[in-house]
Amino acid sequence: MTSKSLCVTRLIEERKLWRKDHPYGFWARPLKLPNGDMDIMTWQAGIPGKEGTDWEGGVYKLQMTFTEEYPQKPPKCKFVPPLFHPNVYPSGTVCLSILNEDQDWKPSITIKDILTGIQVLLNEPNPDSPAQEKAYYMYMRDKESYIKQVKQQAKDNAE
Amino acid sequence: MSDIDFDDDDDDFLYDDEDDFIDDDELDFTEIIQEKQEKKKYEVEYKVYSIQEIEDFQNKEIEHVANIIGCLKEHAATLLRHFKWNKERLIELYMDKTEEVTKEAGVIVDAQKLPKLIKLHDFCCDICCDSGEDVESIALSCNHRFCKDCYTQYLTQKIKIEGECRNIQCPSDCCNIIVDENTIKLLVPEDTYNRYTSLLIRTYVDDNIFLHWCPAPNCEYAVECRIHDSDLNRMVPTVKCKCSHTFCFGCGLPDHQPCICSLVTKWLNKCRDDSETANWISVNTKECPKCKASIEKNGGCNHMTCKKCKNEFCWVCMGPWSEHGNQWYTCNRFEEKTSVDARDSQSKSRAKLERYLHYYNRYANHEQSAKLDTELFEKTERKMEKMQKSSELSWIEVQFLKEAVETVVQCRNTLKWTYSFAFYLQKDNQTTLFEDNQRDLEMAVEQLSELLEEEIKPNKIAELKQKVVDKSIYVKHRREILLEDTAEGLKESRWTFIDP
Repeated sequence: MTSKSLCVTRLIEERKLWRKDHPYGFWARPLKLPNGDMDIMTWQAGIPGKEGTDWEGGVYKLQMTFTEEYPQKPPKCKFVPPLFHPNVYPSGTVCLSILNEDQDWKPSITIKDILTGIQVLLNEPNPDSPAQEKAYYMYMRDKESYIKQVKQQAKDNAE
Repeated sequence: MSDIDFDDDDDDFLYDDEDDFIDDDELDFTEIIQEKQEKKKYEVEYKVYSIQEIEDFQNKEIEHVANIIGCLKEHAATLLRHFKWNKERLIELYMDKTEEVTKEAGVIVDAQKLPKLIKLHDFCCDICCDSGEDVESIALSCNHRFCKDCYTQYLTQKIKIEGECRNIQCPSDCCNIIVDENTIKLLVPEDTYNRYTSLLIRTYVDDNIFLHWCPAPNCEYAVECRIHDSDLNRMVPTVKCKCSHTFCFGCGLPDHQPCICSLVTKWLNKCRDDSETANWISVNTKECPKCKASIEKNGGCNHMTCKKCKNEFCWVCMGPWSEHGNQWYTCNRFEEKTSVDARDSQSKSRAKLERYLHYYNRYANHEQSAKLDTELFEKTERKMEKMQKSSELSWIEVQFLKEAVETVVQCRNTLKWTYSFAFYLQKDNQTTLFEDNQRDLEMAVEQLSELLEEEIKPNKIAELKQKVVDKSIYVKHRREILLEDTAEGLKESRWTFIDP
């Protein structure tokens, strides 16, 4: 079995699994190309803000890029457009231990695990690995303005 | 595991042969021999281990723990690695709270069977989603089953690319069970497995604060020395590997007795930044008498105007220019008070620079001379080989030169570091003895070095040998005296170090 087909087989399987069952409010599917084909290596997903948090109401759009080395290596997850959040890089890339192959990534982690993991991260930022200056400093020094901005962001991302 | 001999082999040679050249003062030497057998004040206890010895030691420990706990050796190994090989603590905690300990270490001890590759008819791999009756799969005692290909790829990635070894977990999300050595051997190619075992040894040494690899290129021995970082202000733990490389256990640099590690680092940094620049400044510039900026005179007359503070002065007498009247191109005011004052203050600030250069030049000189001595010996050795063929001299008879050169090089290294030591040393009553010792050793070394340069004539060789051997023994003795005194001083905090 070559690694390319391993990667694709696994993603097709993930797609089947997702269609059978996925958490409420989430969506995820491979990218549709202009010619109508499907790019199985690039997925688009929506992560809803958890109920009862400042993120509630918004559905945040995420792009997942898989490489040939998947599932030995994690996909790259990027918010499009970039998100105001201490652990999201200015480019939109998410900084999370399960998405780092040198940290907690395991080949058995599913797309569902990734998306729910990121949902938890939204309201529980990790101050030990800041990725953007603005949100990090506001989170550390001025909680009030931080919450205000998060709530505004939720409104802007309402579906 | 074997102890390293504190006596050098070269000494044995000298004393074995003593009948050849020692007749009247044999008594003196017996004294030295007796002294030799004891540990000197500047020596530390240490052991040198080969990789094989480390492996044997680990296997013994693993077997021991497996017997006490009553588990598989593979699991005992994982537990020991988790506890950084602290066997006592492992057994104590294990007996106390087995469940917590095993959970944290990633072991399921109940499992008495090692994982095996099998074919199951209803198996589907969670990683590649491959299924079928002919798919081989394997699971650790946690029962998270994956196919052979995925498992192998996962392990290879961890070992070859991430350099991980003792902490490779089950590929299942959130499962911290450690993949045991046997399973790894079963699944990965031989070269990956070899990499895995060498990583295990490497981490073992790196994890252990009392073990360091010998820093010599391609040397595979590790040295054990039971000293803490906090001891390094009071001693210089020089160790000698079985490969003959002599280095400091504290910082890994080549032997730097009597200078302590922190001063060595400071000194080397200073020399790297300063020495050449300082030399040049000292030779080519003078300081502005007012603002102390270094000025290079690159032409023109003696009327200097400092670019920085606009001070006008005379380059010859350093006094203010305003007092020079009309004598613009000559200066005869060298003894005038203002000129003397200006030069005085200049000399004070230069003194600091010169003090550093004083020590640096002597330090560098011994380093350079040690190189020359070695080169000289190589030349002599070639000559000796020729002589051996033509004369009655045997191999052993001409080897005394080699011994002597080794002594000179070793002593020059010690002397070199005494200058770095002295640079940071606060002069007081206590330091007089040190300076005397330094001077005595230096004199003796130079005399021995000079003897080595003497022309070798076959008919005079016995005489030369006598002289060289006598002097070598004296020089070695002087070195011991110096090192004992400095080591004692460090232990008693007799020295005060300054930051010049």
